[in-house]
Amino acid sequence: MFTRTDDRITATQAAVFLNNTVLGAGILTLPRSVSEAVKTPDSWLSVLLGGVIVMAVVTLMVKISQQFPGKTIFQYAGTIVGRVPGAFLCLLLIIYFLIIAGFEIRSLAEVTLFFLLEGTPIWAIILPFIWVGSYLVYGGINAIARVFQIIFPISIMILLICYGFSLRLFDINNLRPVLGSGILPVLSGLKSTVLVYTGCEVVMTLVAFMQQPRQAVKAMLVGIGIPIGLYLLTVVMVIGGVSIDSAITSTWPTIDLIRSFEIPGFLFERMEFPLMVIWLMQMFCNFCSFFFQASLGISQIFRLRVHTVIYLLVPVIFISTMVPKSVNELFSLGDMIGKAGIVLFLLIPLMLSVIWLIRTKGLKQHV
Amino acid sequence: MISLLSSVISHIPGWDVFFQAGIALLIPLAVSRIYKALYSLVGSGRAVESPGSSAKKRKGQSDAPVSPPPQARQGFSGNYAADLQSIKSAIGRNSDLHFKEFTITRLQKQAVLIYVDGMQNDRILNLQIMQFLMLEATADSFSPSGSAGQQLPFSQLSEASDLADFNKSVLYGYAGLLIEGLPQGLLIQPPEGDSRSLDEPVSEALLRGPRLGFSESLNENTSILRRQGRSDQLEMVTHRAGNRIQKDLVIAYMKDIVNPELLREVESRISKLDIDFLAESGYIEQLIEDNYLSPFQQVQNTERPDRVISALLEGRIAILLDGTPFALIVPVTFSMLLQSPEDYYERWLPGSLLRMLRFAASFLALMAPALYISFISFHPGLIPTELALSIIETRQGVPFPSIIEVLILEVSIEILREAGIRLPKPVGQAMGIVGGLIIGDAAVNAGIVSPFLVIVVAVTAISSFSIPMYSAGITLRILRFVGMGFAALLGMFGTILFFLMICSHLTKLKSFGVPYLTPVSPFRARDWKDLFFRAPLALMKRRPAMMKTQDSKRKS
Repeated sequence: MFTRTDDRITATQAAVFLNNTVLGAGILTLPRSVSEAVKTPDSWLSVLLGGVIVMAVVTLMVKISQQFPGKTIFQYAGTIVGRVPGAFLCLLLIIYFLIIAGFEIRSLAEVTLFFLLEGTPIWAIILPFIWVGSYLVYGGINAIARVFQIIFPISIMILLICYGFSLRLFDINNLRPVLGSGILPVLSGLKSTVLVYTGCEVVMTLVAFMQQPRQAVKAMLVGIGIPIGLYLLTVVMVIGGVSIDSAITSTWPTIDLIRSFEIPGFLFERMEFPLMVIWLMQMFCNFCSFFFQASLGISQIFRLRVHTVIYLLVPVIFISTMVPKSVNELFSLGDMIGKAGIVLFLLIPLMLSVIWLIRTKGLKQHV
Repeated sequence: MISLLSSVISHIPGWDVFFQAGIALLIPLAVSRIYKALYSLVGSGRAVESPGSSAKKRKGQSDAPVSPPPQARQGFSGNYAADLQSIKSAIGRNSDLHFKEFTITRLQKQAVLIYVDGMQNDRILNLQIMQFLMLEATADSFSPSGSAGQQLPFSQLSEASDLADFNKSVLYGYAGLLIEGLPQGLLIQPPEGDSRSLDEPVSEALLRGPRLGFSESLNENTSILRRQGRSDQLEMVTHRAGNRIQKDLVIAYMKDIVNPELLREVESRISKLDIDFLAESGYIEQLIEDNYLSPFQQVQNTERPDRVISALLEGRIAILLDGTPFALIVPVTFSMLLQSPEDYYERWLPGSLLRMLRFAASFLALMAPALYISFISFHPGLIPTELALSIIETRQGVPFPSIIEVLILEVSIEILREAGIRLPKPVGQAMGIVGGLIIGDAAVNAGIVSPFLVIVVAVTAISSFSIPMYSAGITLRILRFVGMGFAALLGMFGTILFFLMICSHLTKLKSFGVPYLTPVSPFRARDWKDLFFRAPLALMKRRPAMMKTQDSKRKS
């Protein structure tokens, strides 16, 4: 009881874990990427619609994971489709996680270079960040979930305060007309909203770590619901605040929004500083989550000690961070990750569930 | 296909990136190697790990001088003259030891009373014990069955069948009695050394609350705990620790509240103590804590009996050591270090306010200089423009970068504080005035530091004093310098990394199995009523959930 050694997390921790995995880079980039695709003020509808789809996806992932209690995707994929194809699918997932981890750090480094530390060599920002992250990941899922639990309330609170202050710029006319060009632009925006929800694949490992897997559906839906709500709020506030045109042209529209007003008589005249702080912490959570998933996957597939894998992944993540040559390449990498996310969804939870259903219900096999 | 290949090739990063990746791998490897080496180096000499290894160790030590001389291992022979001779040869050279030989008149038997100067009240010794033994004792008092002690009219009497034990106890202050024909020694009358009067604890002063602190005597301390109130569940178990000089220590707990697993863990760690002498309870703290490389303390120390008793009622365990007024309380969490007993004695609103102030103060004590450095050196644009301008204006004449500037002032404040503790009180106050006011002002006038920094450093110093546990304040002082280093290298980004690193460390840290950051993380909603807030007493119906007590209800 006192000296607990098992790696189990509560339902609350699992929900916070999922939230902190998904909520991240999108806070600053989502308004631009989705507006670029939609080009009408209806981008918030895309976010909402994407959120509903992602919730369905998450439910499916939880359901399939619940069939294999205590096992992660890396363990049960092999039982469903056979060892080698399963390992192949899991490797795809791991590479995907590693690329996202690199993407997250790179966007963090770009934002830091742009706003906080001009002229600093990029490795000086990335290296300490990876090191601190690996120190956390070394502690296992319990340590990670606890740190997330500390950061979660801070970031939600400050984010809401920032948006609350930006209400003074909010103009409902910027969001009108609703569905002025029909439903088609909304659907074309779905592609870019999927990117911000990438990372919800961690559900397939999280369920295995839950103390009460029965509560998984509820916990995971709450966990994905919070970022959906916050992203929706972000898009509504940014487009309502700075209008769709400037949201498309600016690189980091959310920061532009927060920078564009001053609060006289307050300790900080602009809310940009607290926003940067919580965004950095949120990115840290994102990165640690993907780092953890990737190291867990490799250690489970190849039966290696997870601590060895963590060390070995540090340089891999560093290289994957340094691959994009410019901010624009970084963004196109982001688009590619979004597309890869869709493919992976088709491959892993959907295909696995179908095969599993066929094998258990159709062929009456015992899996 | 070829275009895809070429784009892949064009994206393979240069050699410098691979070189940096190598560094990225090597540094954590090296750090963890050093950490592990350090951990096992310190850990190997800390406690006896398992029964097997302890047996081995004892075997290795058996010919070392640590074990008592072999001739002392024997029991009493029953031959009075021989026994007395062996006692004399073992400890007789001590000049403060007295042998008073006499004859028990009614029995016509030889006896000797052995005692040490200053440990016994001579009047009682002479009048009562001697009078009884010499004149009144009869054959019934020393029945040959061996249960001699029961017939003697002394409340505190024990038998020692081992000569070495007998010698040790006599030198510790017991009055020893050896009687012709009895095959054991009797230990009458425990030592009554002088102790100081009970005072208000210096290190934990309160405005409201009992003006009572522990003293150096273990018996007195346990009796103070008993005097807190009537209960048949307050249990105190004595253990002995120390290889060369043994000392008593008492583990105190509430029998029907404490978690039995926690108790077993504490007892097993206490029994593994392997050191020749425990000079202060700090020795125990360092030998039983979970992680000795962490800057955070995992055992709480206190001089206040009221603090101890309320900790016991929360299901925690206290360890009292003879010879020190500092009792240890385990387990402890970070938030407990910021709580003061006064929070509960005052009404709940002021209590809550003071507690939140303390949390804010500890944040300032940790972060203020780091924030100053990152704002001034890296991001003056993030603070209000007028403030930034005025600070920069005052810093015009300062020739150093802000990290040096902060270090100069911080280090001198730390020196002042250290000097103030060593000096007698009146001089210490004078030092504080000279240091704080005059040097600060002179440093500003001399253009070494900026006036704004003086404010920052002063606020930081005062904040770290507002933490009720002195040792927790030291931790924050150490970490403050680390934070300044991070801020000087990477500005705000470094400060955030520093914060995240502390969070990562704290979430991994445990004190006797209780995660150090409970109830914040892992989240225990029930315990939040006693975290930043101090809820009204009527609402505190249950004991802290994190202690997993047997009986969780405070109220009937």
